[in-house]
Amino acid sequence: MLDVNRIDAFHGRIQALWEISLTIGEAEIVSLVGANGAGKTTLVNTLTGLLPSASGSVEFCGKRINGLKSHAIVELGISHIPEGRRLFPDMSVRENLEIGAYLRRVWKRKEETLEEVYRLFPKLRERQGQLARTLSGGEQQMVAMGRGLMSKPRLCIIDEPSSGLAPIVVDELFRTIEGLRCSGMAVFLIEQNVQQALEIADRAYVMENGRIVIAGESKRLLQEELIKKAFLGM
Amino acid sequence: MIVTVLDILIAGLLMGGIYALIAVGLSLQYGVARVLNIAHGEFIMLGAFITWSLYTAFGIVPLVSLAISSPLVFTIGFILYKTLFTRLRISSPSVAMFEGKSMLACFGLLFMIQNIAILSWGAEIKGYSYLAFPVNILGAKFAANRLITLGFAVVFGSAFYLFLSRTRIGKAIRAAAQDAVAAGLMGINISWVLALCFGLGALMAGIGGTLISMSYQIQPTMGLEYTMIALIVLVVGGLGSIPGSFVGGFLLGLVGSIVTYVQPGLALVAYYVIFMLLLLAKPTGILGR
Repeated sequence: MLDVNRIDAFHGRIQALWEISLTIGEAEIVSLVGANGAGKTTLVNTLTGLLPSASGSVEFCGKRINGLKSHAIVELGISHIPEGRRLFPDMSVRENLEIGAYLRRVWKRKEETLEEVYRLFPKLRERQGQLARTLSGGEQQMVAMGRGLMSKPRLCIIDEPSSGLAPIVVDELFRTIEGLRCSGMAVFLIEQNVQQALEIADRAYVMENGRIVIAGESKRLLQEELIKKAFLGM
Repeated sequence: MIVTVLDILIAGLLMGGIYALIAVGLSLQYGVARVLNIAHGEFIMLGAFITWSLYTAFGIVPLVSLAISSPLVFTIGFILYKTLFTRLRISSPSVAMFEGKSMLACFGLLFMIQNIAILSWGAEIKGYSYLAFPVNILGAKFAANRLITLGFAVVFGSAFYLFLSRTRIGKAIRAAAQDAVAAGLMGINISWVLALCFGLGALMAGIGGTLISMSYQIQPTMGLEYTMIALIVLVVGGLGSIPGSFVGGFLLGLVGSIVTYVQPGLALVAYYVIFMLLLLAKPTGILGR
């Protein structure tokens, strides 16, 4: 569904991504792991039009999307749940979710979608009138996820959902992400929490210094000596 | 005594309504589109003069001419943002740099629009009489046009507030104001929303101009005073807060009216005093965070 072919990207004059290639299939959960500063967020930002790619191509369902603006990429069915959540702080939880359904084709049925999101995160129904900035970190991440799902995407890119959250909240969050597969949605999960990210994924990529260094079935990667040593502390 | 109080109150509300309207316009342009529009008053002047021309030349009454002047002023604002400001925004490495550049561009706009107005309408003071018959309220007499002006200011202000708080586009505008990048990720076309906000700001100024022309005399250089007042209202109410602009507008209008009653000509001085006191007491404004 998503085909990334040898893209390079720069921060100013410094090259941040080197010939990145990857694929994500229908209803697949793919994880991208790597240390802080490996270039994971840079890669994601390149995919969704926040950062231009210097060369290579990104295709979504056969359509070339690099060079498109973010809003046009969302329109095609890719939802990007950004690092640091980036909620609209002075809007209520409900309004944050509603704005996720901004696209004309999903706006009409936003009430139904809202119900689905509330079923996924019952806590948000209780909090719907509250301003987003008054929520706890875990609740904010739920709003960010719910908001990203409101556009009914075919591919959901989730950048560092676990950052700054308590382990018990993270467990719950990962269970929810795993559950998204049932709806036929593909998930591209970017994580520093390598163990859990590999456990729920079908396949995974490992990034280091702007390059993809290892790729494969996540079950197999969990057993790999290099990954055990570098990321899992075994 | 009661008549005097009522007199001052209504006059204050009338001025306040107009102040609120034009401050809301500026708030959109600065709060969302990040353009500190020094030429805001020129759009007020344009609205006033278009209304005056349509009334004196074709007999189109001001409230009807709003249907012509509003789309016109909106389009001018929208196109200005799409051409001039979008180019500045893309070429600026930071928001702060864009704010600086766009403010300078607005200075240029101010002189251009003002001089075009002087060339086409002449520099002298103009006015017209429309619905100027007196209306009696609890013993105090008011020109009917003033009451209509107040009514319209409240109606437009509330309609605009509902637009921002309830509609899809309104929510998109507020989202873009709070986090433009995240708004883009929701599928909102940011450069369109910013141009829309600038156009809507110009529209509010234009409506303000029409309403002002119904009760006051107008001239091509009238704009700057209103720009200053709108800026004060914006800061007093709290930058970026639409309800704040309303509260600030009516507050300034009432104070202006009281001061004018005691000593005409000191209204602007009173505004600055409020402005400075507020900056000392609550720098974020009445409803600011």
